[in-house]
Amino acid sequence: MQYRHVQVIDGKGALRGIAVDGNGQLYAAGDSEIRVFDRNERWPTSRPAHAVAVASDGSVYAGEIGQIEIFNGAGKLLHTWRDEKLLGRVTAIGFTKDSVLAGDAADRAIRRFDRGGKFLNNIGKDSAVNGLLIPNGVVDFGVDAQDTIYAANPGKHRVERYTAGGELLGHIGRFDGIDPAGFTGCCNPTNVAIRDGIYTTEKAGPRVKAYDFSGKLLAVIATDLFDANCKNMDIAVDARGRVYVVDTVKAAIFVFEPVKV
Amino acid sequence: MSRLPQVIGRACVILALLAQTALAQAIPYQRPVDTAPQADSIGGGYKVPAVQKPLPRDYWLQVLDVVALAAAMGISVWLVLKRRSRKWLTALTIGSLAYFGFYREGCICPIGSLQNVVVALADPKYSIPMVVTATFVLPLVVALYFGRAFCGGVCALGAIQELVVLKPVQVPRRLDRALGLLKYVYLGLAILFAVKPALARDFLICRFDPFVGFFRRTGAPHMLILGGAFLVVGMFVGRPYCRYLCPYGGLLAWCTRLARRGVTITPNKELDCGLCAGACPYGAIERMRAVRRNCLYCARCYAYCPRERGVAS
Amino acid sequence: MSQDLTRRTVLAVLAGGAAFLVKKANGQIVWQVNASRCINSRLFEAGVEACNLCTTECVVALSAVRAVNEYSKCGRCNICPAYFNITSAVNELGQPSEKLCPRDAIARKAIGKVDPEDPANNFYEYIIDEEKCDGCGKCVMKCKEPLGLGSITLRVRYDKCVNCNYCSILKACPQNALMQLPIDQAL
Repeated sequence: MQYRHVQVIDGKGALRGIAVDGNGQLYAAGDSEIRVFDRNERWPTSRPAHAVAVASDGSVYAGEIGQIEIFNGAGKLLHTWRDEKLLGRVTAIGFTKDSVLAGDAADRAIRRFDRGGKFLNNIGKDSAVNGLLIPNGVVDFGVDAQDTIYAANPGKHRVERYTAGGELLGHIGRFDGIDPAGFTGCCNPTNVAIRDGIYTTEKAGPRVKAYDFSGKLLAVIATDLFDANCKNMDIAVDARGRVYVVDTVKAAIFVFEPVKV
Repeated sequence: MSRLPQVIGRACVILALLAQTALAQAIPYQRPVDTAPQADSIGGGYKVPAVQKPLPRDYWLQVLDVVALAAAMGISVWLVLKRRSRKWLTALTIGSLAYFGFYREGCICPIGSLQNVVVALADPKYSIPMVVTATFVLPLVVALYFGRAFCGGVCALGAIQELVVLKPVQVPRRLDRALGLLKYVYLGLAILFAVKPALARDFLICRFDPFVGFFRRTGAPHMLILGGAFLVVGMFVGRPYCRYLCPYGGLLAWCTRLARRGVTITPNKELDCGLCAGACPYGAIERMRAVRRNCLYCARCYAYCPRERGVAS
Repeated sequence: MSQDLTRRTVLAVLAGGAAFLVKKANGQIVWQVNASRCINSRLFEAGVEACNLCTTECVVALSAVRAVNEYSKCGRCNICPAYFNITSAVNELGQPSEKLCPRDAIARKAIGKVDPEDPANNFYEYIIDEEKCDGCGKCVMKCKEPLGLGSITLRVRYDKCVNCNYCSILKACPQNALMQLPIDQAL
């Protein structure tokens, strides 16, 4: 499989998280707002936004420090879930069929809530001795169609598979500083997205890769386009297989699309 | 409304000033710790160890250096003016070379402190510790009363040259005087470079210290070669650095004009034999009298004097 | 008599100057590496060769500059790029086979709750032996963000530094990364 770089969406300020909804609509979280591209809308958040996600019903969740803000599709603030303990620093949000998942980087755990915001259980906390090792300061994960959670565990150079109940099923990935099939550096991959496969980003040097669910490397999507000082580059994949990656230094979103050979 | 730009302008100036002072005092490289795992996250009874921070030489040890300097000068004065003993002075020379030279690695010394004093006097932002001031002032005060006692048996740079004097030749008087002026030129240059603004400042005396490389057992090759050359020349021309280049020696020489006492060669019972003048490697005896300005307190003249030997026995 | 008077004048001048300097004295001034200027630790300098002028230029044998790990800022990674040469071949433990430090001055030990089965599950403490370190800066460059967290920086060790009037490292440093500051403000 091959990808080609099709577009750069330039920005200013701090760009931290992105999400794509079912219609290919792109949302970006940064500074203190959620930006909706194409519609060119800006929804202010009450605290700096670290993550954004779109639920199947079209509502948009913004992860912040100590809280999650939930907007409807038109940008109206519906709810604020505030919990300084369980939502220390929300750097990723995802959904299973019946629950909302929030990655809390302050406590190195994924929290599972029901749709009403009631806390159900932790995922990844203390699993396999020390849980999610994230010296980079970001918990990121993706959820597949069977509600399996794929969490980046950069300190272990792995992507770990969990059930919604928090049981560790297994992992893909290993350290390798030479072979691109492995993850390099101290702590990679930092971010992960799930669609028809596992998509990862790495820091130092920045690298975007695609794996199948068994952990086989399908493609190195990009390496040298990004600023060398980037880290925690959020990644999203739309239904057509287009890959969106954040360059945190340039505050830009790079778009790649698969090329049929 | 019309005053707004003015207010903003003033605020900018104040902010700029604040930023500048903040920068001037900034402790390097402080960044918030927000992603490193801390003890409560690591668990298992782990405690973050303290980062070791070695302290500089204790203050009392620094004071000890000054006390050692004062004591060594006192002993030098006593050995030369009272005991009149070359043998014991040589012992003091070796001791000073070992302590101020090889143990303290040539720092701090009054010669170099000259520059720091000059900078501290000229630059309101630069200050020096008390021990440096004391190191600079003490030998001058001693010189005002007794002559260049510091040069004999105390100064490490002098000591290393003193110990290599092998077969000294008498430098022609005129040449000796002309070369002696060089140290005042060097003094002027050292002051000139030291009073420059902070970034352009240079400490010539330290940079071109020929012997500090030996004391530290490491140094730029060209400086080690220069130091070696001084020592080789010093076998035949007594203490060339002290007599012709040492800027602090220039200050001391000036102070000796006012000295109450100095080296005297067998007063009242001279033989006029001239053995002392022949023995002085530094050309410091003129017309059978020690010239305080040039006398480096080595006590060789006593050792060669028949009358002195009589005194001793 | 006039001689005595002049001597008194000179003494007065010396005493006055000394008093002025002592009044101005502000404790001890020491040299320190300004880590936000040092190219080995300065941010946004990823992928540059480490600078080793602190090793080669210092007048003290082995250099008065040492790498220091600020433990509270350390990520305690399993694969520490400052400990391992991360581009060397991977061994059977899943770790790089070579270490980075040319003088083998860094030691590591597992801390906290330890999993003896899988080394990747643990946190590690990295301890630098200052008697072995010569301040070459290789580990500092690798520890820097974004690769690491920048917990290792170069610092002047005051017990070794002879406090030259003009630091010979500064003379050579293209970044002007050494500064003099009062001891109580220095790291």
